Amino acid sequence: MGIVSNIKNDPVGALSPAGKRSVGFQRPTTPLDKALTLLSRYREASIAVVAVLLVIYFQIGSDNQFLTSQFLSVVLRDTGRLGLIAIAEVMLMITGEIDLSVSSVFSLAPYSMVLMANSLGVPLPLAAIISLVMGVAVGVLNGVVTVRFRVPSLITTVGTLFLFQGIVVWINDSQPIVAPIQEPFNALFGQNLFQPDDSLLSWHAVTAFTPFLWTLAAVIVIALVLNRTTFGLHTIATGSNIIGAREIGVRTDRIKIYNFMLAGGLAAFAGIINTVQFSSADPQAGSPFLTLQAIAAAVIGGTSLLGGSGTVVGALIGAFVVATLNNGLVMVGAQATVSDIYLGAAILGAMILNVQVNRLRARRRI
Amino acid sequence: MQNMNTPRLSDDAPVVLEMSHVSKSFGAVTALVDVSVKLRKGEVLALVGDNGAGKSTLIKVLSGYHKPDSGTITSKGKPIRFESPRDARSEGIETVYQDLALIGDLSIYHNMFIGREYRKRMFGMKFLDNQKMRGMAEEYLSTLGINIPNVNSTVDRLSGGQRQCVAVARSIYSAPSVLILDEPLAALGVRESAHVLGLVQKLRREREVSIILIVHNYSQIFEVCDRINFLHSGEIVLDAATSDITEEELTRTVKSGLGRLLRPEDAEIALAAVP
Repeated sequence: MGIVSNIKNDPVGALSPAGKRSVGFQRPTTPLDKALTLLSRYREASIAVVAVLLVIYFQIGSDNQFLTSQFLSVVLRDTGRLGLIAIAEVMLMITGEIDLSVSSVFSLAPYSMVLMANSLGVPLPLAAIISLVMGVAVGVLNGVVTVRFRVPSLITTVGTLFLFQGIVVWINDSQPIVAPIQEPFNALFGQNLFQPDDSLLSWHAVTAFTPFLWTLAAVIVIALVLNRTTFGLHTIATGSNIIGAREIGVRTDRIKIYNFMLAGGLAAFAGIINTVQFSSADPQAGSPFLTLQAIAAAVIGGTSLLGGSGTVVGALIGAFVVATLNNGLVMVGAQATVSDIYLGAAILGAMILNVQVNRLRARRRI
Repeated sequence: MQNMNTPRLSDDAPVVLEMSHVSKSFGAVTALVDVSVKLRKGEVLALVGDNGAGKSTLIKVLSGYHKPDSGTITSKGKPIRFESPRDARSEGIETVYQDLALIGDLSIYHNMFIGREYRKRMFGMKFLDNQKMRGMAEEYLSTLGINIPNVNSTVDRLSGGQRQCVAVARSIYSAPSVLILDEPLAALGVRESAHVLGLVQKLRREREVSIILIVHNYSQIFEVCDRINFLHSGEIVLDAATSDITEEELTRTVKSGLGRLLRPEDAEIALAAVP
């Protein structure tokens, strides 16, 4: 008989070499198993546990001063600023690239916005939009140099980091300029109008958290884009297996450039929010240290540096952990400089945990 | 030698895909020299040749991955220029590459549908219809008799054979008119190889799909193929029907490294050539 008849006679499938149990999903039984399953299935889980422990620690250590709206508005403001940049890095890191130039855009965009408003009389909202477009344009430059000229993005973006940071310092002799921030721009993007005797359910209370709320909105949008759209799927494909992705027709170059543009736009947005908060545009607002903290937030949040996987929710929690460490340590009486030591140790600890949990997952197939 | 289920093809079947006088080089390395290949409707064409002979380059030109330096490709009678594999896929040419082109970090069902995702409209935006893709992938894999316990698991966790099955399933899902298989049997055992070869024949018989096959096991070629093209140093040096050549002659020809057909009477030449 011919081979063809095999198909009909063999409905259970000769095509699965290892048989039915090869990719079995073991049901967790003990509580430990369940905890491990949760930890390894959700990349965000381990960092979320760390965040909760930190909050408890600082709440106790500061005589219940941590969970107050005044203090949280500071922590969440920092979380928001770091988080916006961290989610930009997450998307790029998923494609297998990185952007070290975001801090220069963080300085450049708001500085140009304020200059345009002050010197050229451009209305502030319009100036903000033009600045956002500038941030996106820096992303195009980063993307094109990386993709078309095949310069590793680590080098490309170190180049553009110095280039644009240099430009913004040079424009106005490194002078900070006062920003003409008016309402409603002020309440929408920056100023904390919250007073201790205001009701928690008032408009003023919301403005205490505006930077964070913007970041939260961005995280939801980017998470949807990453997990529920073709663009997100192709972003993961590009970083996971770039040759395979090309072979199947994914436009990997475009995907990378779009993600660089997204990073530039988000960095510009974060810079604008930051400037509106302080009513002043500082050419030194973004230091490369900010970028590194954002990358750390992304990585301890569960994003792989090797591409192919990442989580923006994890990056937001990671940003919260970094901001909590920075502010909380000072509040419980540590020197401001000490917080970096803890941050460094936290990054190492989180990375070791991540790698071990991944190995565990591979071994247990959970 | 010949399989009774295999209908032999007449020469007047229409040509569905043709490559004429295509050359391709990568810097100083010449991969293809003035190569012409014809593929008829419902035909199974075997591409043989040593490592580095240009087989993979040839199929990557046909699948739109590489652009030819010169020469033309004609699909269903009209000249065509592929800018990317996307164009080739929309022309009905599906390819299973040697590396399978699966995305390890994505689920099986996302891999099945990548590049032709089902989407649904929500709030004026198009979102992936994961539920639909999951269901269709499950259903399709089971009708093919491919046993994958869970289409949600990532490709990373599959065995080599299962991956190959997913890649083959993906390529035939869209009912292509041309199917290109670059070593589709490499990671498969005897039974699975037979199953894939059975699928190939079934596709050809029921849907008149034309197939280009790169296989290193020559007895499999004689089981399912109508014609053999032998590629040697980037040139097609032999284009013969499987009925005009024996497995032994083919083996000896490729082994000799001389780049020409060796008939039994050339036995001494063949012996002299093999070190």
